Amino acid sequence: MKKLLKYLSPFAPDQSGACGVLYELGGLIVICDAGGCSGNICGFDEPRWFTKKSAVFSAGLRDMDAIMGRDDRLIAKLTKAQNQIQGKFTAIIATPVPAVIGTDMKALKRMAEKKLGIPCITANAIGTRYYDEGEEEAWLNLFKEFAINENGTSNVEESTNKENITSKAEKSTGIYTGILGATPLETGYSTAEPLISACNAAGIHDPIIYGMGSDLEVIRNIKNIKRNLVVSVAGIKTAEYLKEEFGIPYTVGFPFIPDTVIEQSIASVRRITEDQQNLTNNRKIPEISQQNLMNSNISKRKILIIHTQFAANELRRILREEIAKADPDNVNNIQINAATFFKESSNFTENGDFPLSGEDELWETVTTDHYDLIIADGDIKRLLDAAGYNGAFVDYPHFAVSGRMNDDSIMFFS
Amino acid sequence: MIDMINAFYKTTKELAKLGLVGLPDEMKSNEHLIYSSPATLYFNSPGAKGFGVKRAGLAVPESVMLLVSPGCCGRNTSLFRTAPEYKNKFFFQLLDDTDIVTGRHLTKIPQAAEELLQVIENEDRPKPSAIMICITCVDALLGTDMERVCRKVTEKTGVPAVACYMYALTREKRLPPMAAVRTSVYSLLEKQEKRNSADMNILGYFTPLFDSSELYPLMKSIGIKNIRELSRCKTFEEYKELSKANFNLVLNPEARAAAQDIQDRLGIPFIELLRLYRIDKIHNQYKLLGEALGSALDDTEYFENARKVIDDFKAKYGELTFSVGEIANADPIELSLMLVEEGFKVNEIFATIGELNYRFLKRLAELSPDTRVYSNLSPSMMYYTEMADKEAGTEPPNVFIGSDPLYYHPSTPGVEWCDDNQPFGYDGVIKLFERLDQALSNNNLIKD
Repeated sequence: MKKLLKYLSPFAPDQSGACGVLYELGGLIVICDAGGCSGNICGFDEPRWFTKKSAVFSAGLRDMDAIMGRDDRLIAKLTKAQNQIQGKFTAIIATPVPAVIGTDMKALKRMAEKKLGIPCITANAIGTRYYDEGEEEAWLNLFKEFAINENGTSNVEESTNKENITSKAEKSTGIYTGILGATPLETGYSTAEPLISACNAAGIHDPIIYGMGSDLEVIRNIKNIKRNLVVSVAGIKTAEYLKEEFGIPYTVGFPFIPDTVIEQSIASVRRITEDQQNLTNNRKIPEISQQNLMNSNISKRKILIIHTQFAANELRRILREEIAKADPDNVNNIQINAATFFKESSNFTENGDFPLSGEDELWETVTTDHYDLIIADGDIKRLLDAAGYNGAFVDYPHFAVSGRMNDDSIMFFS
Repeated sequence: MIDMINAFYKTTKELAKLGLVGLPDEMKSNEHLIYSSPATLYFNSPGAKGFGVKRAGLAVPESVMLLVSPGCCGRNTSLFRTAPEYKNKFFFQLLDDTDIVTGRHLTKIPQAAEELLQVIENEDRPKPSAIMICITCVDALLGTDMERVCRKVTEKTGVPAVACYMYALTREKRLPPMAAVRTSVYSLLEKQEKRNSADMNILGYFTPLFDSSELYPLMKSIGIKNIRELSRCKTFEEYKELSKANFNLVLNPEARAAAQDIQDRLGIPFIELLRLYRIDKIHNQYKLLGEALGSALDDTEYFENARKVIDDFKAKYGELTFSVGEIANADPIELSLMLVEEGFKVNEIFATIGELNYRFLKRLAELSPDTRVYSNLSPSMMYYTEMADKEAGTEPPNVFIGSDPLYYHPSTPGVEWCDDNQPFGYDGVIKLFERLDQALSNNNLIKD
């Protein structure tokens, strides 16, 4: 049955993604919920919550608020809190409750802005979708609201003042590389430092990680950005917007794969390559591998990487380089597919890559396609085992799947 | 200016003057946004520390849980689903955008139940005693008749299905989620032809009392032979024995509705006790319990032990100043009242004031009128600093009790006092002071 999780736990939802984008930017963030969603977001999906204060609040909705649609009450509470907190902006992130009662988030935005006189960002999260959907909306709304063009206004302001509309910027003259899409849910890191180090190691010496270790001013001063590196599919729409509106070009990549994952993956690839050479040389090989090969009825070795699309692509690129270095003749004998439960951009897929809609689809993949090595979050292993997978496995934690950081810790109440 | 903002508080004296109906909005959770800090996690996500509806629902031995909800509601289940007692016990039927509007997911629940039973069978695990079906705010708003769905599941699978309502929207209603789930977990008990006069149950918690609690020997001293607690039942057969009790002893008001339901369905009456820390009140409570049961309870030895432990502690550490929180196995106002009555100081309390603890607060206001009372949930708590004492001209706390003060005073010694095992009676008091002694003994706080 679709949508039944028998082996996995639910992944990070859209409201967690939206909150993660805005967490460090000095706004007053309201999760429009009864409390449980805030508890899940802060207590589980936001590792920074334990170390870095942020004005994240639950709307504390009660049944009558939902039944009567008392938006005015929410705005009154928001106003009271803003008077105490003095946030740079407000953000209202929806959850299943406003989704069920059909809350008009645009109206809430207008009401909040009118009442408080500061920008309000909203995210139409539902709780049924994954974190990257919420991130995508939050990134785009954030940059649309705050990125200031050469006229000194944001495009939101401009759209309400038609006389100010000018031609689009042709080319950025900035000096920094903006890293777009890096959140703890996406990268497994809760601070900017390891991300900056990884960028430096990848030859990016002037990185600014949007939303992590940087503030709202970076977005306001978007003219200082010379190019963007998009590390998440959730950032593509925003990158396109910044390219269109501000002339900032972008590339995609993911320089944040932990060294341990790369090392273990390379070692596993070497092992299966050796197995293949053993087979080719007609030597005796371990029974399981031989059986696998007989089942697969192919001479190629197959590797499946299950993660975010860009992380999987990057790991595939690294593995191919390693294979080419070790044995150039063998490159074509190893097929590496990328699969993801999350957003996928067709511009960055290869033949054989595929999206995963749920447990059933992964089960079917494992039972029908032979893979010699699967690289995925360790929480997925239980499903693979149940499906009879007996190939090699490398654990590549994905915080949005298992809640584990790259150092294998669960941040919750650690 | 932001740096001028202070966390909101009222002194006990001010609160006593305002009265329960005059509490400021900052102390009423439905009047403001709820600040989400580690100190408030218990409020937003009760299961994150301790028991929420999901963990609680699985208190029925050998049961499994099907959470029917949007993915977000089950997200933090990853936390405990690998723990041995919960391993492989959770299943999730995820709702999509259409489901949450149309309710069409309800028709698929029986199929989901069948499939999860198949997984269990494939893994050679025993058939579960029950399928606890947990639903959330979405179904609260859809007005789902979950009892009917559960009947369908039972018909289709032959396994009892029980509804658990994780309705955060109703947390301030007559039957909030943690009270409702207590009713759910006892709902599989069936009426017995004959109950056993020497049997009793303890209701209230999802974990047992400390084995050392005097409640056990006191009850045995008046002829009770079997004292049962849900959390000590290892099998469903043991669980069923709960219905043989002569009476239920309710130690937590959240179990009152469950006890009432058991009384109505199975004819088992209940007696309610409070968890108290003032030993004279503990004595009074036991006296009244003895009278209700028709046999006096002799608690002299336990009373004296507790008295001695408190006196020894006081002699060792002198007039300590406490910070007391509400994420602890105690009511923070009653606990503070005990500390003040015993000669300690309490300069701040993090608490939610309600009907039950307001009566303790009035007495506390007489003894310690300047004690500051904060609401963890107030947005202004974002600006709580340890400077509050300096500004008020008082000494900062030497010691804390509760998980929330630990968050506010990370370098102060203290005890979180929220073990899964439940303290009760004199034993709870003794254990608390023993723990405090352990925490303080390494911090040079022993009186010269």
